[in-house]
Amino acid sequence: MGDAVVGTGRDAIRTSAPRRPELLFARLFVAIVLVYLFAPVVVTVLFSFTTSPRLSLPIEGLTVNWYANAFSNPLFGRALGNTILLAVVTALGAGALGVLFSFGLVVLRGRVRGILLTASLVPAVIPVLVLGIALAVFCNSIGLAQGIRNAAIGHILVALPFVILTMNARLETFDFTTLEAARDLGASPWQTFRDVTFPLIRPSVMGAGLLAMALSLDEFVVTWFNVGTEQTLPVVIWGLLRRGINPSINALATVVLVSLIVLVVLSNYLNRRKV
Amino acid sequence: MTGMVPGWNTLRQVGPAAAFYVLFFLGPLLILFLYSFWTMDGYTIVPGLSVASYVEAVTTSLYFAIIVRTVLIGVATAFLVVPIVYLLAYVMLFVLDDRNRRLLDLVLVSMFSGYLVRIYAWRTILGKEGLLNSALLQLHLIDQPLTFLLFSNFSVVVTLVGLLIPLALLPMYSSMSNVSREHLDGARDLGSRGFHLHRTILIPMTLPGLNTAFAIAFILSVGDFVVPTMLGGAQGTMIGNVIADQFKGSGSNWPLGAAMAFLIMAIMLAVYLVVTRALKWVTRW
Repeated sequence: MGDAVVGTGRDAIRTSAPRRPELLFARLFVAIVLVYLFAPVVVTVLFSFTTSPRLSLPIEGLTVNWYANAFSNPLFGRALGNTILLAVVTALGAGALGVLFSFGLVVLRGRVRGILLTASLVPAVIPVLVLGIALAVFCNSIGLAQGIRNAAIGHILVALPFVILTMNARLETFDFTTLEAARDLGASPWQTFRDVTFPLIRPSVMGAGLLAMALSLDEFVVTWFNVGTEQTLPVVIWGLLRRGINPSINALATVVLVSLIVLVVLSNYLNRRKV
Repeated sequence: MTGMVPGWNTLRQVGPAAAFYVLFFLGPLLILFLYSFWTMDGYTIVPGLSVASYVEAVTTSLYFAIIVRTVLIGVATAFLVVPIVYLLAYVMLFVLDDRNRRLLDLVLVSMFSGYLVRIYAWRTILGKEGLLNSALLQLHLIDQPLTFLLFSNFSVVVTLVGLLIPLALLPMYSSMSNVSREHLDGARDLGSRGFHLHRTILIPMTLPGLNTAFAIAFILSVGDFVVPTMLGGAQGTMIGNVIADQFKGSGSNWPLGAAMAFLIMAIMLAVYLVVTRALKWVTRW
C-alpha cells in the first residue's frame, strides 16, 4: 500500500534506514502490544451487548438489556451525579493550581526550578493506596468527615502532577518575548495575563483540565478510602465486582470507558494544537 | 525587568499549589508516619513512640511471606514492563518513525480505558470458562481448561503489565526522543549493530527514562491492591490488601497499616536504588 511507497522513498534517501526484517519485526511487535492493551477494552464493550450472562464464547445474541439494568440500579443516578461533580471540581481545582504553578516555574531557572518541578511530580510515583490512607487518616484527625469533599481533595492531589507535567511541557516552548513586549507597551501584569498569555495557552489549559477530568472519572482507590458512604461510578462498579459476575458491570464500564476516551482524545487534540 | 525577577509574583503563582501539597500530601504523610509509631490497645489507638507495629509487620511469618511475594511480583512486572516499553519507544521513534505520534496516542488512550474496567476484563479473558480457554478448546489445542490462567500469580502479573505499559512508556518515550537520529545513524555507520548498538549507545543515553519506567512499574505494582483482590485468588494476597484492610475492612489497625505502608515504601526505594545502580554498572562494563 501507500506505506510501501513511502518506505522505499525513505530507504533511498537514508542508507541506514531500517532493513526489511527489522521493519517486519517492529510491526509485529507493535501489533502484539496493541492487542494486549486493547483486548480488555474490546471484551468489555463486546460483552456489554451479549445476551449470555456467562461471559464466554460463542456469543449467542445481542441485547441492550444490561444497559437498562445498569441504569435502573438505584445507586446509578447518585453515582453519576457525584462522578460528574468530582470531575468538574478536579478540572477546575487541579487546573487552576497546576497552571499557576507552571507559570511560576517558568521564570525560575536552574536548581530551584528543577527541585520544585521534581517535588511537584512526587505524588505520581507514590502508590495511590498510600495517598488514599494518608489523606483519610489526616482528615479523620482534623475532624473532616468523609464524603465528596474529601474525595475531591484526593482527586485534585492525584491529578495535579499530571496537569503540571502537561503545562510545563507546553510552557517550555512558549515565546516569552511576547509578554515582555506587552509589558514594555505598558500593560499591567494582570492585563498581560488576561489579554496575551491566557488566549495563547488556552488550548493547553483546557487540555490539562480535560486530562484532570479523565483522571478523576477513573479514580477509585483514593475515592474509596475517603468518600465514606457516598457513591461514584467506580465505587458502584467495585461494589458489583465484589459480588461476582454481573454483565451490567460491562455496561457501566462501557459508559465510563466512552466518557474517558472522549475526554482524552479531546485533551490530546487541544494539547497538540499549534499556537 | 522587575517583572522577570523571581519574587513576590512568582511566589503568588507557585504558592497555592505548594500550599496544597504541604497541606494534603506532606502533612497527611507525616501524620501517617506518626501513626506508625503508635499502638493499639484493644480498639483504641494510643499515641506513643513504639516500633511494635514495624516489628509485628516483619516478624509475623504470614506478613513477611506476603511482603516477599509482593516484591517478587513487583520485580517480575517491572522486568517485563521495562523491556517492552524500551522496545516500543525504540520501534516508534527509530523504525516506524513516520507514524509514532499516532501510535503514542493509541497507547495513551488505552491508559485511560478504565482501571477497574481493564482488571475486570482480564477476569473475563482468563477465567476457567473465559475467552482464552474457550478459544483454545475450540481450536483443540487443549482438551481441559487451563486453570493456572486465573487466580494465580500469572493473572496478576499479566494484568499489572497491561495496566502499567502505557504509564511507563511516557518517560521512556520522552527520554528516547532526546536521542537524535543522526547520533544513532553515526553509530551505525561506525559499525555498531544490534545488541551492541543498544548496549553501548541507546541504553546509556536513555538511562533516566529506563529508571523512571522501572520506578513506575515497580512502585505501582507493589502498591496495588485491586488486582490481587480481583485476580489473585485465595493465595494471591499482596501487601496492599493487608494495608487496605487495616484502614477499611475487618481487622482495622491503623498503626500496623501505617507501619506496613512505610516499610513497603522503604523497600521500594531500596529496590529502586539497587536496580538503577546495577543498570548503570551494566552499561559501563
